[in-house]
Amino acid sequence: MPIDVPIVKLTGASKHFSGTRALEGVDFLCRTGTIHGILGENGAGKSTLIKILSGVLQPDAGTVEVNGETVRFSNPTQAAAAGIVCIFQELSLVPDLSVADNISISAPPRKFGLIDRRAQHRRAEELLAQIKCEDVDPNSLVRELSLSRRQMVEIAKALGKDPKVLILDEATSALTSRDVETVYGLLADLKAQNVASLFISHRMQEIEKLCDTLSVFRNGQHIETFAKGAHSEGEIVKLMIGREVTAHYPPKPAPAEKPEYLKIDRLAWEGQLKGIDLCVGKGEIVGLGGLDGQGQKELLLGLFGVLRGLDGDIAINGQPCHPASPAQAKSAAMRIALVPEDRKTEGLMLAMSIADNLLAASYDRISDGPFINPDKARQAVAEGIAKLQIKVASPDDIVSTLSGGNQQKVVIAKWLMTDPDVILLNDPTRGIDVGTKQEIYKLIRQLADRGKTILLYSSDYAELIGCCDRVVVMYDGEIVSKLSGDAITEEAIVAASLNVGTQASTAAAGAHHG
Amino acid sequence: MKFSIPNLKTEDKPIVIASAFILVILAVGTAYTLSTQGSAPLLSPGYLLQQLQTGSFLGIVAAGMMVVILLGHIDLSVAWTMTAAAMMATTVGGEMAIPVGIAIGASVGLVNGFGVAYLRVPSMIFTLGVDSVLRGLMVAHTGGFAPQDAATPLMRTLAASKTLGIPNAIFVWLVISVIIAVMLKRTAFGREIYVTGNREVAAYLSGIRTRRVILGSFIVSGICAAMAGVMLAGYSARAYQGMGNAFLLPAIAAVVIGGTRILGGQGRYIGTLIGVILIVLLNSVLSIMQMPEAGRQVIYGSVIICMLLVYGRGNRVHS
Repeated sequence: MPIDVPIVKLTGASKHFSGTRALEGVDFLCRTGTIHGILGENGAGKSTLIKILSGVLQPDAGTVEVNGETVRFSNPTQAAAAGIVCIFQELSLVPDLSVADNISISAPPRKFGLIDRRAQHRRAEELLAQIKCEDVDPNSLVRELSLSRRQMVEIAKALGKDPKVLILDEATSALTSRDVETVYGLLADLKAQNVASLFISHRMQEIEKLCDTLSVFRNGQHIETFAKGAHSEGEIVKLMIGREVTAHYPPKPAPAEKPEYLKIDRLAWEGQLKGIDLCVGKGEIVGLGGLDGQGQKELLLGLFGVLRGLDGDIAINGQPCHPASPAQAKSAAMRIALVPEDRKTEGLMLAMSIADNLLAASYDRISDGPFINPDKARQAVAEGIAKLQIKVASPDDIVSTLSGGNQQKVVIAKWLMTDPDVILLNDPTRGIDVGTKQEIYKLIRQLADRGKTILLYSSDYAELIGCCDRVVVMYDGEIVSKLSGDAITEEAIVAASLNVGTQASTAAAGAHHG
Repeated sequence: MKFSIPNLKTEDKPIVIASAFILVILAVGTAYTLSTQGSAPLLSPGYLLQQLQTGSFLGIVAAGMMVVILLGHIDLSVAWTMTAAAMMATTVGGEMAIPVGIAIGASVGLVNGFGVAYLRVPSMIFTLGVDSVLRGLMVAHTGGFAPQDAATPLMRTLAASKTLGIPNAIFVWLVISVIIAVMLKRTAFGREIYVTGNREVAAYLSGIRTRRVILGSFIVSGICAAMAGVMLAGYSARAYQGMGNAFLLPAIAAVVIGGTRILGGQGRYIGTLIGVILIVLLNSVLSIMQMPEAGRQVIYGSVIICMLLVYGRGNRVHS
């Protein structure tokens, strides 16, 4: 095989969806033994590109070549047979099947025509070992695993198909930092085995660290492909969004003592929360850090009244309160809002209109008695859309037609309509584009400036460092470190997340709320 | 048959198709009567009003059924809720007949809603169980014989008399339709039904009291079924065993033919109205054409399946 034949080559590929163009005349190529990063805002055409490569969609025009031969995949199975395997952004696992079943789902090992369970189990163990997930039991149900573990199973499943081109679409966005490191190592191994990896991520550092070739997409067009280092980070961002980006995060105000607003005392729940003590001031942004699944999500859900059998005390503005349901949590007495982890299943009614989604939490505000006042409803929707600058053609459009970033804005706008005092955010920028992320950072700061109390969980440390006045790091259901001011550094957060406790973090913890 | 309807919201497509199919049924029926009898009775106002009167009982059951289906649940207890309400109403008699019948329906709905929303039993199982319990109770109540009590004059008036030449039953159906349509479209409860039916988790996390919504919807369905039962007893002058049995499947079919998604979250009330009219006319035209019962059942079932196949095209909701 001549070395300069690219493993994958697209020529003049175009794809249109009912009038809007998703890809327009894209020429793109990828070589073996590279880790190729694909950058672009949501809606830039990245997802369409990989869907074409992996056989989910067929291009309207243009050709796809694999190893110099023109191919036309009509489904992902054909693409997988040609060695192109994709790990999709939306998880494709069956929750009620075991890990081993899921990994071998498309081609289970057989014996006498029946599935050979033992071989399947062995295979799952091998693949999981390859990505250092020995702790995942191949017999456990996918439903029981955390989001991060599920994503790793997804990766194991893809590896099981013996890929020549591995496509990772936001595959690391749900991973804990330890798993992310494992994936990095894996990609390096695959590179050594001459496998090409296409890597799509919204996290710039990841791409910088990992990829050797970068391609930027914007508005369905391929802007530029270059070797890593050819452009600075600022230049890349400029290429992606077509405009200059001045600062990543809005400036933080000088640290000041904020009046105590939300007080959590010895909060405990079923061994997953072990006596959380935390105070959040009025107008303060407190970040929750730590590895995935250390109780951060439970803490937020507990505050929002979702968990049964919660022990401990919660007080808002000095008033003890025990929300027993989200309906109570959002009531006038507490005014709590939660932007949930997974916007597609927990935040939105995907098949409903933007207006219906925006109004879902505020029917009491737009109704006269039992009847909805259409004028108030229209006004509320218009205000919500304007406040977050959601890009919509019409509020009656179905919400799933929006890009990920705009969908998340709908979820946030829905809650801002209820005029909450305490805002709980569970990873609000996961899987959304840089431009929208920055708007959300700015919004969070504005809300804090207006006296809202904000608790922000993020799996992205940079976000915690950039956005928060204070950061508390959780480990195994406990707060192991409280950082503030200049003590909020990546090093301190990572150390505390792994519960190794460096000098700096313990000192900072001692200085504050000791 | 190939339909291509441009620029139409997916929600409205079934409604247009079902309306068109009603015209087809009328045309086929008329062509048949013209060729065999030389007249077109199907198009006379008298015939159509009579069909609507027959349809009003089904329409009232379907109205309640739709509310439950919008949640992604189902109420399989409507048949014996109808019967129980009718029997208790005629047993009590007098002025309290109708209120008692409706109270029976509301209590059945309360039990159904409690089982589904709070005990988390799948509605298909729970309401089927309740249906069976009601049947047992009614057999015990009557000793298994046809009850001797007659419908009250008010029940007779509502179901069988006419005002200005129009059967009163149609007015009752109309009033209930307006109430349900306004409830679904213009009240917080109605919108919460759609939101909950679309995705219960997201609705709950939006601070909607989803269990109350489910409970309320089953009560609405119970009341509608009871009302239909009371009316049917008025129409037949008495209540009888198994009087509701012929209504369960047509009610579900009418809702689904009207474009309500069987998994919940989508559907317009006007669609259910059209679905009821379609089913009633189809039945009637098939009997005018002197189709034997067996053939009627086959055609009736095939039509429902075909319509759903036509709707299904390109209508898949991606989640």
